[in-house]
Amino acid sequence: MLFEPITSDAALTLQDLTVAIGNTPYVQGASLTVPKGEIHGLLGPNGAGKTTLLRTLYRATTAQAGTIHAFGRRIEDHSPREWATKVGALVQSSGLLAGLTPRDIVEIGLFVLQLDRSEHTDRRDAALALVGLADKATQPAGNLSGGELQRCYFAQLLACDPEIYILDEPTNHLDLHYQLVLLDEVKRRGRTVLMTLHDLSLAIRYCDQVYLMTQGRIVEQGPPDQVLTRDALRQYYQVDGQFQGAALSLVGPVWSGTGGGFSTRN
Amino acid sequence: MAARVPILFPAALAALLLTALAGVLWGTAEIGWADRAAILMRSDDAPRGLSLIIWQWRIPRVLAVGVIGAGLALAGALMQTALRNPMADPYLMGLSSGASAAAVGAILWLPDWITDSFGVPAIAFFGAALAFVLTFGLSTRRGQPLDPLVVILAGVAVSLMFQSLTAFFLYLGDPQAVRSALGWLMGTAANTEWRELPLVTCALLAAMIWAMRNSNALDATLLGEERAQALGVRTGRLRMGVFLATVTLTGLAVSVAGIVGFIGLIIPHMARLLTGARHRVLLPLTLTLGALVLIAVDLLCRTLLAPEELPLGVLLALLAAPPFILILRGLRRAV
Repeated sequence: MLFEPITSDAALTLQDLTVAIGNTPYVQGASLTVPKGEIHGLLGPNGAGKTTLLRTLYRATTAQAGTIHAFGRRIEDHSPREWATKVGALVQSSGLLAGLTPRDIVEIGLFVLQLDRSEHTDRRDAALALVGLADKATQPAGNLSGGELQRCYFAQLLACDPEIYILDEPTNHLDLHYQLVLLDEVKRRGRTVLMTLHDLSLAIRYCDQVYLMTQGRIVEQGPPDQVLTRDALRQYYQVDGQFQGAALSLVGPVWSGTGGGFSTRN
Repeated sequence: MAARVPILFPAALAALLLTALAGVLWGTAEIGWADRAAILMRSDDAPRGLSLIIWQWRIPRVLAVGVIGAGLALAGALMQTALRNPMADPYLMGLSSGASAAAVGAILWLPDWITDSFGVPAIAFFGAALAFVLTFGLSTRRGQPLDPLVVILAGVAVSLMFQSLTAFFLYLGDPQAVRSALGWLMGTAANTEWRELPLVTCALLAAMIWAMRNSNALDATLLGEERAQALGVRTGRLRMGVFLATVTLTGLAVSVAGIVGFIGLIIPHMARLLTGARHRVLLPLTLTLGALVLIAVDLLCRTLLAPEELPLGVLLALLAAPPFILILRGLRRAV
């Protein structure tokens, strides 16, 4: 695995990545390759290590072991700024928004690109229009609803339009309409995407490849319809249900018994 | 919000210049208009005594107060951004309490030869720096990112410790010396000399240049630690820069004028309500308003009960708090 050649069409490659905070390992020996233009999804229950893995990709934390390459070049060989122009992220983080407008928020993201004035303005306005915030562009960001704010940060990323998109729960707070609008837009652009998702129907709809994580390890990987089997849902998500086409039909939660196996209540 | 900027800046600068001029022209001493003009033009027939008052007392004082007001306001704006906390101010990390305890301790307990050779200002600066080191030491753990909330809590703890130390010193101290220590605690710019100006001015300029060069990164910090990191900002390094700028600006301000609270908390909010939170425009306006307000309040300190002089810190809080609160409420509705 360590010496697996990094092919030129691999946009993003992680090899044997291990991330620990203090002495607690959050990600253990994770390896994955996202070819250029594909959308890959990181799935798994709460606390599986999905967000921690993504955090190494937008440099909020560093891995204790393993390597990260973007287009064949190691993360350490980029300055944070240079990396940010190549790998953009939509993250979960709370800020102090007093005195900022949606327009400001998009512009703050665009500064990494150092564009000339007209392109800067064009990209900003196009992105805000795309997420349906053109009419609220100059209103206080503090007055936006949770979903509008998420759209605003989405607009920031779409305006920057990096080669690689890292999306941590991109559909957080979004209504169904915008979940589809924004993920369709990402897919339409043909960029390389690695995202975490809780909505498995969206994973089936958008992902070329998914990874199932649990307790810091990637335990299954493959096309979503092959990975998200009834057994996998039962074992890793502790739910009883299965996909019929793209539709997930759920029976209910599964409760772990004392014997280590699983059994449905009733 | 940006549309207001072109009018705001010249207006604020003009108001600052007028206030500074008023600060130089008015004071305890009665000086006629003809003499005022003659003195400012440095003409030969200007009365020497009055000339001395203006050139050796008032001008350095107005300049010092302006630089201190600007520096404290800048430090407050930077701290609010770095900790993403609207309640943050320059004294948050225990700086004022550290400076107070050191200064009061020195005035009351240290032998005169030590206080005289180092000077109370230098000792106060040392106290502020010590408080910063303590707060920072308490809030960092090796290999872990700094949590803004822990910094604030550590600052509160260090403040409380130094405040009780100050109270203890005052309680045990000789009454005459206690009065002198209290005067220092309440903040005053009286007795400012020309030679004190270059250092604070250089510190202000250096901090401002650094902050303006990092204005984009500071903007990104407002969106949250991780969002800033995702935008390529080295947040740890940036925050360290903010802390160093704050300690230097605040420590120097305290060493020149004692404790002047409130300005670092409220001025950045006013500026933010006027221009928005983008640092490229916010910081210059914060600087201007900080200087303007402190010069105006210092002028009132000298003239309200002349020839008695009021303590700067006390008058600032008494006088400026109610209107500022009203302005904030009004602006909040408008935004």
